[in-house]
Amino acid sequence: MLTAFLISVGVMCAITTVLAVLMILADATIANYGDVRITINDSKQITVEGGRHLLATLKDEQIFIPSACGGRGSCGLCKLKILEGAGDPLPTELPWLAPDEQRRKVRLSCQVKVKNPLRIEIPEELFNVKQYEAEVTAIRDLTYDIKEVRLKLLSPAAISFRAGQFVQFEVPPYELSNEPVYRAYSISSDPGKEDEIEMEIRYVPNGICTTYVHRHLKTGDKAVVNGPYGDFYLRDTNRGIVFVAGGSGMAPIKSILHQMLNEGNRRTARYFFGARAVKDLFLLDEMKDFQSKLPDFQFIPALSEPGPGDDWSGEQGLITDVVDRCLETVDNTEAYLCGSPLMIDACIEVLKNKGMPGELIYYDKFA
Amino acid sequence: MKQTPEMDAIQRQMRPGVITRDGFLGSDARKLADILEFDNAEVNRLGLTHEGIAARMRELRDAGRKGIGLATRVDPHFEVRVDSVRGKLPCPFGHAGLVQKMNTTVRNLAGGREITYTDLNIHMIGGHGFYEGRGSAFRLEPSELKEILEIPESPPPPSPGMPPGLR
Repeated sequence: MLTAFLISVGVMCAITTVLAVLMILADATIANYGDVRITINDSKQITVEGGRHLLATLKDEQIFIPSACGGRGSCGLCKLKILEGAGDPLPTELPWLAPDEQRRKVRLSCQVKVKNPLRIEIPEELFNVKQYEAEVTAIRDLTYDIKEVRLKLLSPAAISFRAGQFVQFEVPPYELSNEPVYRAYSISSDPGKEDEIEMEIRYVPNGICTTYVHRHLKTGDKAVVNGPYGDFYLRDTNRGIVFVAGGSGMAPIKSILHQMLNEGNRRTARYFFGARAVKDLFLLDEMKDFQSKLPDFQFIPALSEPGPGDDWSGEQGLITDVVDRCLETVDNTEAYLCGSPLMIDACIEVLKNKGMPGELIYYDKFA
Repeated sequence: MKQTPEMDAIQRQMRPGVITRDGFLGSDARKLADILEFDNAEVNRLGLTHEGIAARMRELRDAGRKGIGLATRVDPHFEVRVDSVRGKLPCPFGHAGLVQKMNTTVRNLAGGREITYTDLNIHMIGGHGFYEGRGSAFRLEPSELKEILEIPESPPPPSPGMPPGLR
């Protein structure tokens, strides 16, 4: 009886081992796609090792496609046109692709495996995206839950970006993550200072990147970012400007204010900043400085629920109510919004109700 | 409880790297059917239902949305912050559509404790009786939900022994 049992166990172990070896061999041979050619914008060809997802493959070739979820197919940011070689969209892509995008052969590059020769289109501006090695030169508490992180760029030593754009910050493996993870943060610094970038990072419970920045990152640490990305930037018009932000949505607006100062921009600008209480306000001195130097700029902080000891005499209420109350006209005016998606959606409604055309409302939902 | 092949497939969807980077099971090595059965028994013991818990979570989230991204007071003594990040997630149980990545943090000012949950948590609890595995970053303990969200006891469900995920 015992012998029969041991023989059965032995046979099962042998079968399992053989199957495991076969799977390893299959992975190394059948699933080996060899070198694959990718034609980019019908003007450039690269040869890559097949078998990996297009997003990661392009990153190895120093071509950076924005992605906020690290390639899990849950952010829908890494869209590219794949004109040939990728087959039909996968079920994991379909929720992200509008019918028109499917017709135009738009795909999620994080979901498409490189198996056959591909013909793809990449927006030209993404070729300016680079990976930067940097050093943390300063970390400052802006509030109890927002830190300002300043990076000195080492290699390359300078970045050219439009005020309002964002970078992706690499979190190295640590206790919450056993692999590098990328998260997107707006640049808050002066675009005229090309050797450094600044970000404002709010702590999010359980957030891999924000936990790393708030609990582990320190001055002198090395860091890696890639960028710049995004189309949230000041349009070159003569319209009046309405900025609306909340929390770390301050970052791209601050960078745009630096740009306006650098350019001697004389446009009328009103900046509505929403916070809950005095403890959530920050960079007030910097805003006062912009107010004194820009010819027609006004910073209007508003508190939704001031604390008992706040002694607040400024605007009160939700930022949407304050914008509605204080903005007399939206004629010849355009708006730039950055913050929580809930805040942005509510602000868009208010501005449209006041008569601002949707195409003059630019926003960045916490990119 | 015996686990069906369909539940095996769902449990595979819950592994790290399939839908989310860390998955839904944490360090929990139990079969999904056992996780659901255990939490179902706990919810019954607490005098609650999964649907009732989800309804309370949804109610506080909807009240917190009025703060448009900022923490806001909700009667009688809660502070609720609702915020979302870019992206959407599918339900690992295979429901069609995607759930927005929305986080709700509820602080009970009377008890001094707080809890954070996602819209996907609300869906998985109400629809499937799934609170995530032990050790998962987004695991929710039914007893903590009851205490912090002050969920009143519910009438017994139609089939008290069976979580929605197994019905």
